[in-house]
Amino acid sequence: MSATEILPGAAEAAPRTIPPVDRESRRLGFRLTLPTQLLVLFIAGFPLLMQLYISLTDWSPLDGVGWWKAWQSWNSFANYTDLLEDRRWWGALWRTFIIMLVCVPAEFLLALGLATLFMDDFPGKRVFYSILLMPMMVVPAVAGYMFFMLFQSGGPFNGILSALSGMDIKIAWLSDPTLALVAVMIADIWQWTPLMFLILLAGLVGVPEDQLKAATLLGANWRQRFFTIMLPRIKTIMVIALAIRVIEIFKIFDTLYIMTGGGPGVATETISVYIYKVTTQDLIWGYVAAIALVILIALSVLAVFAMKRMEAAKNGGRA
Amino acid sequence: MRRSPAFEIFRYAAIALALALTLLPILWMVSMAFKPIPEWSATGADLTWIPRAPTLDNFRFVFGQSTSDLIVALERTAWRPILASLLSAVFGTVIAMVCGTAAAYGLSRFGSGKNLPLALIQLRLFPPMAVMIPVMIMWAFLGLIDTWWGLALIYGIVTLPFAFWLMKTFFDEMPREIEEAALVEGCSRFRVFMKITLPVMRAPLASSALLVFILNWSDYLIALLLTTKNWVTIPVYMASLSSSMTGQLYGAKAALGLLAAIPPVILGIAIQKHLVRGLTFGALKQ
Repeated sequence: MSATEILPGAAEAAPRTIPPVDRESRRLGFRLTLPTQLLVLFIAGFPLLMQLYISLTDWSPLDGVGWWKAWQSWNSFANYTDLLEDRRWWGALWRTFIIMLVCVPAEFLLALGLATLFMDDFPGKRVFYSILLMPMMVVPAVAGYMFFMLFQSGGPFNGILSALSGMDIKIAWLSDPTLALVAVMIADIWQWTPLMFLILLAGLVGVPEDQLKAATLLGANWRQRFFTIMLPRIKTIMVIALAIRVIEIFKIFDTLYIMTGGGPGVATETISVYIYKVTTQDLIWGYVAAIALVILIALSVLAVFAMKRMEAAKNGGRA
Repeated sequence: MRRSPAFEIFRYAAIALALALTLLPILWMVSMAFKPIPEWSATGADLTWIPRAPTLDNFRFVFGQSTSDLIVALERTAWRPILASLLSAVFGTVIAMVCGTAAAYGLSRFGSGKNLPLALIQLRLFPPMAVMIPVMIMWAFLGLIDTWWGLALIYGIVTLPFAFWLMKTFFDEMPREIEEAALVEGCSRFRVFMKITLPVMRAPLASSALLVFILNWSDYLIALLLTTKNWVTIPVYMASLSSSMTGQLYGAKAALGLLAAIPPVILGIAIQKHLVRGLTFGALKQ
């Protein structure tokens, strides 16, 4: 048995139940799942209806009336049409995608490279492995503060650049619109490459050793072994790793907000930062509810679509 | 497999570089945590990697002692945020684990709640920011704003998907023979679950709980929105330190950051074996 395998049931509902489910089991099953069902309903059912209702109004907590009286400021679909013309919103969406397009491939390639180095045993492997995983366990807000310190104009990052170049470099990373975005990306890559590394390595370790040996005997060089044996074997695992990072970067907030607060100006404002600011500073909750609903609907469609694809792949005889 | 010496050299060089880049930010914070005030913002050629005069003053300061006449003692010390972080993360973990484990067993053995896998994946997928308006309104209505139990409740819900998926894969893999033997002996199914299954699953339960705890402990955004003063958690408190004073309290914040970072790193290393499974929603195991 290989060290790593794809478990059944990653995407299907119930892999194997004891066939004859009697009344006692059914009742127990219902009771065991009830608390979770209620929590899901509590957080997803009622709040969504509330969100939909508020999103059709101009309601703000400063209005002095309860949210259920939000109809007093009914504005039909104005929030949704406003969103189409909200340049700050499109900018935040765009920036989030830029961060995604840079960070996900960078993290993936770095992690894949590192993981191939960790495939066989060598002295010190376990210790190195543990150290390399550390960034992903650091509290993201604390990681944000670490990089806030690193990127100060008199900070260690410039210090290292100065030492390497021999010049006195004093770049104000976090107050330059472009460089602030770069700094935020570096922090994300630092913190989350380890996660990709962890997942990809788990996949690579599962590639059967004898296949690689046989290929070597047949004269396959390093590159051929890598592209024809290893990569195809870990295809599913790569997709999972990439999907996780795409989802997480879509939500990016903690590290970034501590580093730049979305600034300078709106230079590093992502979707979550934008919503946070409108929620806490502008306090137009009717509008926020509309934005949130649009995001929720878009993601739900994506999720259902992805699930369908996964099931189709499964039925299509994926190993 | 045999490797050429050139490859070994390349491997160690590449790993050394990766280790250096990994450790650099961490070491800078550790170093900062032990620096006295004059060294906090030393720049340029003065950049000090190792504190010249290491001190514990930063830690004393965040716990309320005035250690220098350069800065006044804190009005609100780190004790209460630490308590808030602990209480909310621990009880959030309890909620997620109790509900998640029960539901995972119900689905794995009896096929109940077939809607839960997708529902919980979606719950995981959504940015917390996109559901916070109703949550803030509901929490205000229920009197849960700025309480540790209010935080624990939302943490329990947010990490419920992890607890559920992780325990589901463990239950799916568990051999049925032990349970079936007990059933034949005449135990009720609930007794089998409580007296046989759960004790057998002690180790997976423990590592799932630790992972959920790490996730709860790491939150910043939710606490930022749902707490205001009395029960702010460590990250929120840490971030607020600078804004309430003149200038950055580099060393004090680093000391606090270090304290916040230590528990998850240690726990994370302890459950390394199950990290892959936990973070990929049970799609992969190691």
